[in-house]
Amino acid sequence: MQEFLQLVVSGIATGGIFASLALALVLIYNAMGLVNFAQGEMAMLATFVAYSLVNRGMSFWIAFPVTLVLAFGGGIVIQRVVIKPAERAPVLTLVIITLGLATLVNGLAGFIWGYVPRSFPSPFSPDSVDLAGVFISYRDLGVIAVSGLVLLCVYLLLQHTTVGLTLRAAAHHPEASRLLGVQVSWMLALGWGLASAVGAVSGMMVAPILLLEPNMMQTIIIYAFAAAVLGGIESPLGAVVGGLIVGVTVNLAGSYIPGVGGDLQLAVGLGIIVAVLILRPNGLFGRAAVRRV
Amino acid sequence: MSAILELENVHAGYGPTSVLHGVSLSVPEGGVVSLLGANGAGKTTTLRAITGGVRWSGDIRFAGRSLRRTSTEEIVRGGIAHVPEGRGICTELTVDENLRLGSHLRRDGAEVRKDYDRVFEYFPVLKERRRLSASTLSGGEQQMLALARALLMRPRLMLLDEPSLGLAPIVVRSIFEIVRSINLTSKVAVLLVEQNARIALDMSSTAYVLEVGRVAVQGAGAELQGNESVRRSYLGY
Amino acid sequence: MNRIRTAPPRYWLVALTLVFFLGFPTVISSFLASEWTQALILAIAIMGLNILVGYSGQLSLGHGAFMALGAYVSAILAHRYKMDYLVTVPIAAVFTGGVGFLFGIPALRLSPLYLALATFALAVVTPSLIKRPAGLTGGVQGILVLQPDPPDFAREAFAFVTGTAMTSDQWIYYITLLLAVVLFWLAWNLVRHRPGRAMRAIRDGEVAAAASGVNVAGYKTLAFGISAFYGGTAGSLFALSTGFISPDTFPVSLSIQLLVGAVVGGLASIPGPLLGAIFAFFLPIGSNQWVPSQTWLPDQITSTVKNAGPAVSYGVVLILIMMFAPNGIVGLLRSGYVILNRRLRGASDPKTGQMPPDPQTV
Repeated sequence: MQEFLQLVVSGIATGGIFASLALALVLIYNAMGLVNFAQGEMAMLATFVAYSLVNRGMSFWIAFPVTLVLAFGGGIVIQRVVIKPAERAPVLTLVIITLGLATLVNGLAGFIWGYVPRSFPSPFSPDSVDLAGVFISYRDLGVIAVSGLVLLCVYLLLQHTTVGLTLRAAAHHPEASRLLGVQVSWMLALGWGLASAVGAVSGMMVAPILLLEPNMMQTIIIYAFAAAVLGGIESPLGAVVGGLIVGVTVNLAGSYIPGVGGDLQLAVGLGIIVAVLILRPNGLFGRAAVRRV
Repeated sequence: MSAILELENVHAGYGPTSVLHGVSLSVPEGGVVSLLGANGAGKTTTLRAITGGVRWSGDIRFAGRSLRRTSTEEIVRGGIAHVPEGRGICTELTVDENLRLGSHLRRDGAEVRKDYDRVFEYFPVLKERRRLSASTLSGGEQQMLALARALLMRPRLMLLDEPSLGLAPIVVRSIFEIVRSINLTSKVAVLLVEQNARIALDMSSTAYVLEVGRVAVQGAGAELQGNESVRRSYLGY
Repeated sequence: MNRIRTAPPRYWLVALTLVFFLGFPTVISSFLASEWTQALILAIAIMGLNILVGYSGQLSLGHGAFMALGAYVSAILAHRYKMDYLVTVPIAAVFTGGVGFLFGIPALRLSPLYLALATFALAVVTPSLIKRPAGLTGGVQGILVLQPDPPDFAREAFAFVTGTAMTSDQWIYYITLLLAVVLFWLAWNLVRHRPGRAMRAIRDGEVAAAASGVNVAGYKTLAFGISAFYGGTAGSLFALSTGFISPDTFPVSLSIQLLVGAVVGGLASIPGPLLGAIFAFFLPIGSNQWVPSQTWLPDQITSTVKNAGPAVSYGVVLILIMMFAPNGIVGLLRSGYVILNRRLRGASDPKTGQMPPDPQTV
């Protein structure tokens, strides 16, 4: 029982990581109807930036918000420079552009920092705390707290501020929003910036666990896809719930299903995607994701 | 009376297809003008040209200033509210959020509250359904929401594209009553595109009839109503 | 005789290309021939992907998985069951084609974006899936493939033409070339006739196609099957030409490389995959070797290109092409041809862009 609870808590922590990246995917999907295949690589790049800052002596807790701001700016720049010029192109073209972006960012990170894995210090102590007989690591609690906080802030921003309102309006109803004076183009850029910042959280939380190297996010993004699909690709709430479910499921599967361990856990992620798409394509909270005729 | 909106010899179209071939019209300050005509005559295109949704040549002036090279967002911020065909309701958002989109640019808090009160007076159903998703509204209620939203912008000019489309006659009547009232009390000019010529002419000071992208007939509303041959040939009744 | 004289320039181009590919291995080194074999293999794989993505409009990011399947089927049959390698190629192709066809069935239910997601996930997971049944696949250690010696008739022909002994690599090159020609010809026929038209109709508007009586489900799964068939062939040849495969031979970057090749070459075209394959294969080599060796370029540029490596070049080129030439190289060539043609012919052209006369009642 003890072990089970520990796995669940630890799964919630990894779930928080998946949820952040999944939320980034959902934000961009809502804005543009496409999945940003470069989201993971952008998060990785942001994490490397954080790494460089920490290496130069900055405390993690200062580097963290600084990186978020830089990631935000980076997302805006990418939208302005790469995405906006192609905004009238068919979705397939845009998807391929994001793939190109992913390749480019990955190569860039490799160019600047090389492919040797580095260790990324966790800001939380490695000790565990005893909660009602269950030993839970501070690291897991820390990840849960940080992801939770970021997700909460995004929720508040989107649902309870005017900026959030215009963002959502521009994402779902660009034509109508224009007629209401919303600067749709800038709202899209803002959306990308926000997604980039949220994704960066995912990267910085996962780096202490895996080692920091350019290919670090390639497995995470699969889990994030699974989370987004499970939750319903249009639903931010779904991304969070989906992330938690995927995190816990993958953890439990890794321990309790014989033969599944290490890299085959990833296949569990794929399995979730396939299962959802076949059984309930809308996900838990989404609307029609399969084309309706 | 000065004109709040002037179109001068406007040509407009989509890609290689030209839809408007030299349309000229003007809307006086605080006045109501109808733009009538059959399907495909170019009425919607005219409205789209005004708010920058379609390429045009010629000149379009709002409050004396040309709208050439101005983006849709800027035109709208300048004081034109455009309720498009199909109403443009943001169905992903709640009724209240739709309304907030109307007022989000304004800085005059007290006046905004007054406008909200007025809007809820005109359309009490919107107050009831504030927290609900806009997609739960019926066609008529959505039209009300679109109008309310436009009102909250405190525009100087409202462009209404086929407000009666798909609505029951009784609903249409009440909506037009409200539009007339808005025009009289708030002095908002209205450029009304309608297929239902009769009801449009009832409230217009001037009307223009478009045919295949050109102004075929223009004149005072009452005049056109009285002219039987015009009615038969162009207005269908 | 007349038909040769009046044949459109396109046919001459094909003939020239064929002659080029037939001839040049006789004058280059065996190693270079093996590189061009790789390029041809990519061309076959990309043609398969093109049929799926370009012609039937289904976005698959997991084509590398089909290559892996074909490669492993062949390698296992040859290595474990001692089959003659050339016999394993069609077996691998058909098997992979069948698997692809089955794949196409659940794929029908997925919207294009979800299909892309699911196939992307598949591509990422493929190496892990290969490692699992280690007893069969050799796990992490992979499988060695013995390269056959050229048969006598080939050896003699080659010696006759070049005076040198034919290597295994060169023999494999010619096998690949033969298969590539056959498969390209098949694709060309497919595209020209009903299946191609049906697929394009589906790509351009499924609902309309279904309403016109096109068997949408049938053609979409068929496209998957054919695409996998090509991928499997390519994979099988790949194992043969490199002599060794392992799970790491088929990472997700392979699938991306294939997509890049398909798009850059030009989707929904026959020459596209070949051009795209040449681009996809030689770009990394170019950025790693050719550019740095151009001494007339400033050091800054050459060292940046060399260090940044193929990934950055790929990414940049892909983005630029998608932004400015979304129809790929073939698209650019076609537009160039049209423009050139118009200049040469002079005269008024129906497409001068002038507005048509006033419309009648709309």
